[in-house]
Amino acid sequence: MSWSRAGYSAAILFLFFVIQESAISRINFPIAGFSLYLAVLLGFMALENQLGAIVLGFIGGLILDLSPSSDSPLGKCALILTLVGYLISRNRESLGDFTERPIIFVLFVSLGVAATLLTFLLFGVVLGENNGSFVSNLQTISGNGIWTLLLSPILLPGIVKLRELTLTSKERI
Amino acid sequence: MRTGGSNRSHLPLVVLLVTSLFLITLDLRGVSVTANSRSATQSFLAPIQRSVSDFFSPVGNFFTDVQNFGNTKAALKALQKENAKLRKKIVYKKDTKGQLVKLEKVLDLAGRGGYKVVSARVIGKGSSSTFSQTITIDAGTRDGVQRDMTVIGEFGVIGVVKSVTSTSAIVLLISDPTFRIGVRLARSQSVGVLMGEGDNNFTLQLLDPSGVIEKGDVLLSLGSDNNKPFVPGLPVGFVKTVSSSRATLTQVASVGIYSNLNSLGVVSVVLRSPNEDPKNSLVPIPIPIPTTTVYVTQSPEAVVTPDGVAKDQN
Repeated sequence: MSWSRAGYSAAILFLFFVIQESAISRINFPIAGFSLYLAVLLGFMALENQLGAIVLGFIGGLILDLSPSSDSPLGKCALILTLVGYLISRNRESLGDFTERPIIFVLFVSLGVAATLLTFLLFGVVLGENNGSFVSNLQTISGNGIWTLLLSPILLPGIVKLRELTLTSKERI
Repeated sequence: MRTGGSNRSHLPLVVLLVTSLFLITLDLRGVSVTANSRSATQSFLAPIQRSVSDFFSPVGNFFTDVQNFGNTKAALKALQKENAKLRKKIVYKKDTKGQLVKLEKVLDLAGRGGYKVVSARVIGKGSSSTFSQTITIDAGTRDGVQRDMTVIGEFGVIGVVKSVTSTSAIVLLISDPTFRIGVRLARSQSVGVLMGEGDNNFTLQLLDPSGVIEKGDVLLSLGSDNNKPFVPGLPVGFVKTVSSSRATLTQVASVGIYSNLNSLGVVSVVLRSPNEDPKNSLVPIPIPIPTTTVYVTQSPEAVVTPDGVAKDQN
């Protein structure tokens, strides 16, 4: 992954972070909220090679760490999403090219969002954070997963196109 | 060779993981990296949230409105008769009116208690991925808002200022799992702690082992030293059910709150509390239900015979 592409990707992710924080969070989704940011980030990571997924996970995590509503220590999301990026890159090779298998892509991203939130929660417990009742956490994780599953089919073609925009001419070949 | 290649590909992973752990360690050791970076993000996001808020205020409750479609069917039918232009205007008018009504109630509550407040619009909500219950308001240090100030809604306490910039502030809602507030029961003056659970459920634990909680008891804020973070005497909630477990030393109860935290439009931050504790003066007064009295008068023509049968004299 080139520096310029990392920069473009970071800019796109920050834009989605702003949209998430200022608009999407305002909508009272049934069950629990939808994280557009996580869906886009995991979509990007799923299309990258190992190094790309790890770097994007770290950048995306750092941006998420900046969320003013977050109470967690800075670096927590970066750590988790770097690991998630690594796990994604390790497993995606067995699933083939996502751009040719959209259903697998949608399922992968939805499960990835739910798994990431679960990891946030578990890591929070390790750090001694109080994240509320089991039921409300279950609602948040399952709600996010369901909404990602429902909305990803609309979003993912756009994510694939956005990623193509960040590719350098050498990478396109 | 393969091992060497694998090690090389793991190097960035290790570097980034160590960087993350380094940041976490810095943060946990109290280096102000987090506060400054999040404060800067908040300053950047606040104007965007404020402008987006105007558009999303009517749209934000779309799903809730769909769920309550049956209740608002009559209102929807009336709206359907109007043309698109007028409908748009009405939506905005309704939103403004709703906010005004809420503002009126908030100011009424603050006025009755003698609190000096500054009112603010809710311009953002905390992301669900952070597991914390927060809102962003459009008042900051420029308006006199400081960290750890009590925030009230139309029916009482809704949260406390968690962080503040010059033009906005993040409010930790009462429903957040980390939220704790000292309360007293208006009826018995017993003291306890109210805890948020991340949803609409709250738990009250009495501190006094001999204290007794009853269903319907009103909870008022106990207040803190120098009125930070909580001013005394504000309504917080009411007891829904009392758990009568013998395993606990003190009584525990499930509590409901008066405010709907999902539809906060306007809130007020308490800048200064009155010199005297308002005691129980802010306990919500239940709205009296009008009773219908039916008078039954005996018809002058009807006579009841000793065997209980009514007969007409004519």
